[in-house]
Amino acid sequence: MAGATASEFVSLALLLAVAPLLPGVAARTRAILTGRRGAPVYQLYADLWKLLRRGVVYSTTTTAMFRLAPIAVAATAVLAAVLLPLDGTGGLLRFSGDALAFAYLLGLGRFLLVLGALDTGSSFEGMGASREVAFASVVEMGLFFAIATVSVMTSELSLSGMFGAPPGGAGGGGLRAGPSLVMVAAGLFGLLLAECARVPVDDPHTHLELTMIHEVMVLDHGGPDLALLLYGGAVKLAVMSALIVALLVPRAGWSLPLSLAALFAGMLGVAVAVGVVESATARLRLLKVPLYLAGAAALAGFGLVLVVR
Amino acid sequence: MTLFLAGIGLLIAGAGSGIVFRNRPAGDRRLVGLIAAGAVLAGIPAVQVLRGGAPREIRWHAGVPGGDWVLGLDPLSAVFLLTILVVGVASAGYGAAYLAAERGHRAVWMSHTAFALVLAAMALVVTSRSVLLFLGAWELMALGSYVLIVTEHEHAAVRRAGLLYLVATHAGTLALLAMFAVWSRAGGEWTFAALAAARPALGDGATAAVLCLALAGFGVKAGLVPFHFWLPPAHAAAPSHVSALMSGVVIKTGIYGILRVITLAGPPPAWWGWTVLAVGAASALLGVLWALVQHDLKRLLAYHSVENIGIILIGTGVGALGAASGQPVVAILGYGAAALHTLNHALFKGALFLAAGAVVRSTGTRDLERLGGLARRMPLTWLGFLVGAAAIIGVPPLNGFVSEWLVFQDLFRAGQSTGGAGPALRLAVFAAPALALVGGLALACFAKAAGIVFLGSPRSEEARVAREAPAGLLGPVLALALACVVIGVLPALFVRPVLLAGATVAGQAWAGAAASVGDVLADAQRISILAAGLFLVGGLFWLIRRLALRRVRVRAGETWGCGYPLPTPRMQYTASSFAAPLAAVFGGLSGVREHRGATVYHSVPMDPVLERGLAPLWARVERLGLRLRPMQQGRLHVYLIYVVVTVVALLVYLVVAPVR
Repeated sequence: MAGATASEFVSLALLLAVAPLLPGVAARTRAILTGRRGAPVYQLYADLWKLLRRGVVYSTTTTAMFRLAPIAVAATAVLAAVLLPLDGTGGLLRFSGDALAFAYLLGLGRFLLVLGALDTGSSFEGMGASREVAFASVVEMGLFFAIATVSVMTSELSLSGMFGAPPGGAGGGGLRAGPSLVMVAAGLFGLLLAECARVPVDDPHTHLELTMIHEVMVLDHGGPDLALLLYGGAVKLAVMSALIVALLVPRAGWSLPLSLAALFAGMLGVAVAVGVVESATARLRLLKVPLYLAGAAALAGFGLVLVVR
Repeated sequence: MTLFLAGIGLLIAGAGSGIVFRNRPAGDRRLVGLIAAGAVLAGIPAVQVLRGGAPREIRWHAGVPGGDWVLGLDPLSAVFLLTILVVGVASAGYGAAYLAAERGHRAVWMSHTAFALVLAAMALVVTSRSVLLFLGAWELMALGSYVLIVTEHEHAAVRRAGLLYLVATHAGTLALLAMFAVWSRAGGEWTFAALAAARPALGDGATAAVLCLALAGFGVKAGLVPFHFWLPPAHAAAPSHVSALMSGVVIKTGIYGILRVITLAGPPPAWWGWTVLAVGAASALLGVLWALVQHDLKRLLAYHSVENIGIILIGTGVGALGAASGQPVVAILGYGAAALHTLNHALFKGALFLAAGAVVRSTGTRDLERLGGLARRMPLTWLGFLVGAAAIIGVPPLNGFVSEWLVFQDLFRAGQSTGGAGPALRLAVFAAPALALVGGLALACFAKAAGIVFLGSPRSEEARVAREAPAGLLGPVLALALACVVIGVLPALFVRPVLLAGATVAGQAWAGAAASVGDVLADAQRISILAAGLFLVGGLFWLIRRLALRRVRVRAGETWGCGYPLPTPRMQYTASSFAAPLAAVFGGLSGVREHRGATVYHSVPMDPVLERGLAPLWARVERLGLRLRPMQQGRLHVYLIYVVVTVVALLVYLVVAPVR
């Protein structure tokens, strides 16, 4: 890959290794705040290791689509991470308009996941799939309000240019502190909760099929397939929080260890925030979710109004 | 141009062979052979022009009023010509196999002949450079399409759809006649070159009239909201290879017309660019929303054509705004994105309609609620449909992503513009989130279409006994799907030609433009890296899964049903219920009538423009007409009185009116 440097590979590898920690941190935060001890933060690593050695049951209704879905979810999340300037300067791959690739890679994963759910012919999974696509379309709009705001603010067309500071690039450090930035960051955090299936949109800990969205789509997955789905979800959470950290903590000119330490501290902070939200609020009624999402998107949208005027 | 003319000749010879051979089986093969050979010949000069060759032109002094007949081939024409030919050949091959079974009871040759004629007419539409030739080819295309739509005329719904189409297309032609009439007032021959030269003499008012009439006249053909009402019934009623041609290609001649008018008239005023952008955004959003609530597979696909025409117009609109604000890069990218999305939509919509035709052929129904589980029974049709579906929602690594990528980055570029273009052009960036919402809704819609038709368990006996389509139907489906993958994985090969076309529309010389859009070409190659990375990482996870599965027990079982022991296919989510959350979010805009009960949920889609707008309007016109009925007494002396009164009124007018 042209222009790829060691630091970009190192930060990507670290992100992929650390990602399963984030759901654990969020869960632990929630446990502590609700007066329980909770599972250790590395619980997901143990779960993944366990699931990889578990057998699987495939429904006789399913086809290759059901088996493809977990691979697609994990692969698209990893590819989305490739586009982000994780080390604070630039991503492994950068090109003008790569924000669309970022959003639509997650879209590809979602499309195949939803088809995998419909492949089972289960009414529960159909229900989850239907809700997922409905809410995700609003999330996608909000994401583009946020990206458009940053793009106009920095006069950059690639995620690396917008959120990083390419050495020798003209637009380094184009992010300006101000109301727009705050609104975009808050909006992005709201969208992260939806995209990563957290309270108040969805609840990763629920056990009633009728109220679930993401969890109900993966009811029939087990063993290594479920491991891939869980890992893909963790990487998605890591990617979204890395985006927020890059927005709030511009790291132009920082040394690599310092930059990475700031990134991962920030990501853990986002995970803690997710846990705090989860223990402080209840899940919204499904009818209210579109309103919540439209609110988060509108927040980013007002950010755009401020920079365009 | 000799090759092009020879190609057109072969297409017309194909139409002739249909008449000569009638319903003999040998006729089909000759027809497809002639069309394919004609397409290759006519395509060669188009490819040469797109590879940077000089534009071609041929002029014939026809000796008819209105000046010479001129045919020309510039990059803009070439992109559209290749789109027409590629999808045309695939659909023709499919059509021969599709209609072969009906040879016993239907004049199949008539459909084939009309098909070849429509192809030839479209090739002339996009190359004609004189008004009369253009309008003649336009009408031949419209009438031939009518014959194709009413192939299955024994059904009342098909006849009705055909009539609606005929009325709409002629209303559009009327607007075009008015446009050319206004434009040519400035004098000169009825050739495009003369019109372009006369444009500065028109004045602002007449130019505005020309541009608005062009948008309306070509918009009817393209199927813009609110002129789209004829499109879903017509495309659903036609045989599937005709639907593929109509949805993929015929409606694009409307886009061609709009882009050609921009080319001839020079940079349009900013307000017109905003109009195009707004109409495009409205078409994209409403088209996908209405598609989402359809339960007829082919109507669903037809509404998606409205959506994609909207995306093409967003590109056109932002391009026009860029041109109006003196931003050549924005203009070239916008027009180029429109041209590329035209090609891409033709390819994936062709694949989708042809795959849908295979489903209809195997099951006898287009109703989503009666399908399901076809992925096991028709795996190759499923593959073609899946690729087409992923392409239309715009995800990498397929072709839909490439053109949406161009549109999005052009909107971002418009959003970053500074200087004289200032805040006004920057507002165009608000189309980007709207387009993202459209993308999300398209994902929802195709998750529904693909999931309900092909996955799960069959919802009817027809779906349960369905068989894979024959090779004659599968070949064209898979060929078009492959084209979608090739453009998605190797976009750099295709971005340069469409930017050439964009520069033509923007009136920029390629030599100067190449430098300013050069980084886009380089970035297109990075999309190939992204695609390779996707396959690489996906393969890695596949390997991990495979290694893990080798060591564990893999069993088959039932789908988890919360412990309920007797699952039936009726328990699955239906097309109605899948779309219900989004239909609820958009309320009345989505145009569904819901039927809720303790045990049933069912929604019936309708077209708000047709059923809430046009139908009541016509009913009112009809009632007014009934009031005039007493005038018609059927007695000769009453009519004589009318004649006398009219003549007297005209004489009075002549006396009173000022002499000019």
